[in-house]
Amino acid sequence: MNHAASERVCLDPRFASPFPQAALPMLRNPQLRKNVGHAIDVIQAKRGKLVAEKTDWQELRSAASAIRTHALENLGAYLEQFEARCTAAGGHVHWAADAAEARQIILDLLHQENATEVIKIKTMTSAEIQLNPFLQAAGVSVFETDLAEIILQLGEGEPSHIVVPALHINRSQVREIFARTMGLKDLSDDPKELTNAARTYLRQKFLTVPTAISGANFLIAETGTVAVVESEGNGRMCLTLPRTMISLVGIEKVLPRFQDLEIMLQLLARSATGERMNPYTSLWSGVTPGDGPQKFHVVLLDNGRSSILAKAKERQTLKCIRCAACMNICPVYRQTGGHAYGSVYPGPIGAILTPQLMQMKHAQSLPYASSLCGACYEVCPVKINIPEVLLELRSQVVNQERRQAGRFFDLMYLGLRIANLIFATAWGFHAAQRMGRIGLRFFTRKDGWIHALPSLGAKWTQTRDLRGLPKQTFHQWWATRAKGGK
Amino acid sequence: MKQPVTARQLTLDRIRAATPSAAKDASQLAEAYAALPRAYIRRGALSAQARIELMIQRLREYDAEVVECAPAELANTITTQLATSGRHLFVAPPGTPNEWLVTSAWKITGLEWTIDHGLAIDEHEIEKAEGVVTAATCGIADSGTIVLHHSAIEGRRVLTLLPDYYLCILRASQVVETLPEYFSRCQQPPVLATYISGPSATADIEMTRIKGVHGPRILVVIVVRDEVENIN
Amino acid sequence: MRASLFITCYNDTLFPETGRAVVRLLERLGVTLDFHPKQTCCGQMHANTGFRGEAFSQAKRFVRLYQDAETVVIPSSSCVAMIRDQYSGLFDELGNESLRKEFAALVPRVYELSEFLIDRLGVEDVGATFTHRVVYHASCHGVRALQLGERPYKLMAKVRGLDLATLPNVDRCCGFGGTFSIKNAEVSSAMLAAKLQDVLSTKAEYCTALDNSCLMHLGGAMHRQYAGMKTIHLAQILASTEADSQSEATL
Repeated sequence: MNHAASERVCLDPRFASPFPQAALPMLRNPQLRKNVGHAIDVIQAKRGKLVAEKTDWQELRSAASAIRTHALENLGAYLEQFEARCTAAGGHVHWAADAAEARQIILDLLHQENATEVIKIKTMTSAEIQLNPFLQAAGVSVFETDLAEIILQLGEGEPSHIVVPALHINRSQVREIFARTMGLKDLSDDPKELTNAARTYLRQKFLTVPTAISGANFLIAETGTVAVVESEGNGRMCLTLPRTMISLVGIEKVLPRFQDLEIMLQLLARSATGERMNPYTSLWSGVTPGDGPQKFHVVLLDNGRSSILAKAKERQTLKCIRCAACMNICPVYRQTGGHAYGSVYPGPIGAILTPQLMQMKHAQSLPYASSLCGACYEVCPVKINIPEVLLELRSQVVNQERRQAGRFFDLMYLGLRIANLIFATAWGFHAAQRMGRIGLRFFTRKDGWIHALPSLGAKWTQTRDLRGLPKQTFHQWWATRAKGGK
Repeated sequence: MKQPVTARQLTLDRIRAATPSAAKDASQLAEAYAALPRAYIRRGALSAQARIELMIQRLREYDAEVVECAPAELANTITTQLATSGRHLFVAPPGTPNEWLVTSAWKITGLEWTIDHGLAIDEHEIEKAEGVVTAATCGIADSGTIVLHHSAIEGRRVLTLLPDYYLCILRASQVVETLPEYFSRCQQPPVLATYISGPSATADIEMTRIKGVHGPRILVVIVVRDEVENIN
Repeated sequence: MRASLFITCYNDTLFPETGRAVVRLLERLGVTLDFHPKQTCCGQMHANTGFRGEAFSQAKRFVRLYQDAETVVIPSSSCVAMIRDQYSGLFDELGNESLRKEFAALVPRVYELSEFLIDRLGVEDVGATFTHRVVYHASCHGVRALQLGERPYKLMAKVRGLDLATLPNVDRCCGFGGTFSIKNAEVSSAMLAAKLQDVLSTKAEYCTALDNSCLMHLGGAMHRQYAGMKTIHLAQILASTEADSQSEATL
């Protein structure tokens, strides 16, 4: 069964189902859970070994966090410096306030080149602004060149992870997609053969398509340099063979100095793929005569980032270097995979980034898609306190929602308000305990346990029993003891 | 360029409103930047010999073939490697030393060179080459990384990308242990750079690592045992 | 040594036997305990669900109640984490200077149970006997927020007769997460199923932890599935003596 095509997944936060609902079909999909579990186990094991070996890991994290914080604190100055240096080196810098503007700028640049085809390096930023469908509708053929992106493009699937976007798809599913779309009837499901098929499929594209679109991992302000970190080499192909290069980059990705890469690269490779260094890292500054594209454009994208920048607790969200360590460790992501988050940014970082990029108008269920275990914060190479931001966003969601008329009678809201009143005084608390015990007696079976509850309680009892309330609370026992009993 | 000025101004205004205590421009940030904590390891602790051995070990972990030679033997070593590679047509950057290219043994083994002089050859000619030979800027032992700054002796980027076989000449004196040491060696940041750590790879299908997707599938490194500086 | 016991709202209501065990244990170790009759809740449930105003009023109440306590002992690492990690933020946002000062003075005197035993009393051998195979679930707040580290293991190492099993994936969340267990009940259950697999694989008789919240979640599923394992708070193991080891420990 071709899961990639049959899953009509929605990664547009404006229309995606809330997380609890979106998670359900994922939880019921054993193949998916196996694929996801296997993939993150592999990366986790590799990462764990290399982090243990890196005796200055914590110092690297501290330095990276400090540099990213400093860069964000002075974002305007560093972006202007990047713009000046990049322009001096022969590049063109464009600014896009939102997704629509970014799409239009890119399309205009393609029209200027009379481009009807583009080759693309994987960039989640382009998925964020939904670039591909926009370009296709305007008559431009888009060819993804990253293996995972090809699998998704040909299989009409959606990414579920920011580093390994097709990790929810296994080899036989890939075989089916390639055999069907590349016309390779005798293709086996051996990953080597599948990869070779992709290599052959792409070679001509690399050599003939004159326009490429990329993202970037980092921008270096002091030199106007762009850095792309990759494994396959499709990046290097797209960065050197075409005549025109367009890089779409979020404004938060700027680093002050070239030297900062000595920290970031050590953290990124280990966190993202469990390697000391990824196979290929490319750095270029503007245009170099005789080497690579002679026309280079950077499109700096805001699309909500500046509003995140303005918020004290939330600003740290922008430190993210897109390594995916958080989703690899997340016990929630392990069970649901990425599609449940209804965004191109899933997992813990997605749970805080997506609603904020949506100005808290959508994806309000995402900050609750976490048990607050804190594992993500522990592994984040730039020390984003994701739980802290989750809590902050939860409070904003509640403040937004509680003003809505319907919410007054929402069971969860009502329950929590009542609980607050109960906890305000000892007598209220004790009275509620007595009433609770009496009320729950009806549901308590002979074995002293509750097996089924109505309403919100059913959410508990659908998979767990609950021991019936003991006759005597602790405080009652203490009071009895104080009076001389035992 | 059809660029609305307003998007730039709008974005910068929003950023400034969000960061009211920020510096006006980057020139004012040197002090704040210098004060940032850097307690991570900057310099390696390995001896020169151990450093080279580590570099070789890491390269071999990537399935690269590594041979060592004394400086005087370099030209012969290059010839031997190419002669036994099973390939005949090679491309080399314009700054390649003549001594590396022409030895009498060549006429016997039938090796052919195309030199990228004046950057005249197009990608299709490079595509026809079966191998490429270049020097490098630096080797980083900890991660087995080869650093190219694409000077005349390293060649433009496409040269080390299209051919399937890459012979890299790395001098022992160019090898450092840690990544920060490479950065501290850079007098100024390179305009172009490629850091190569193993052959291209993907793990996109079931996390099974497949090597050689795009980019050379065969990497051979000659480590020239020149005078190793004591940089510790 | 005097200490005030903050039992926590859910232990008071659902797990009074844990409280009784804490009393027994600490009094055996020579601690004079008192119990503030007006205590209710630390505010964690509200804070974690996004009801900060409500959480603030509970936090304020807690600080006022315990401002004169020499030491506060709490048999729940998530509640201690709430106090240590979230109270100052609430007070910064909604409190005043004097409240912030009171809190700053109080917080060093607040201890989770294993912290109290190891750090404050300086004891590892609490004179316990518990002749059973036990698996220890390291709850997330204990591991990450409180950095309890080796403390519970040191305590368990000195319990006579205790056969401690090794739990695979010991640091992975069980899926309780407070109101997460209701708001995302299905995902919570999936995480629970994975955790249960690891726990049951140890073939222990008891699953223990420093938080009854996790144990309620794990134990509720064990009971539903007739899994043949029971849950028990670590306080009850530590309170257990030679005499108790003959009879089945109470749940």
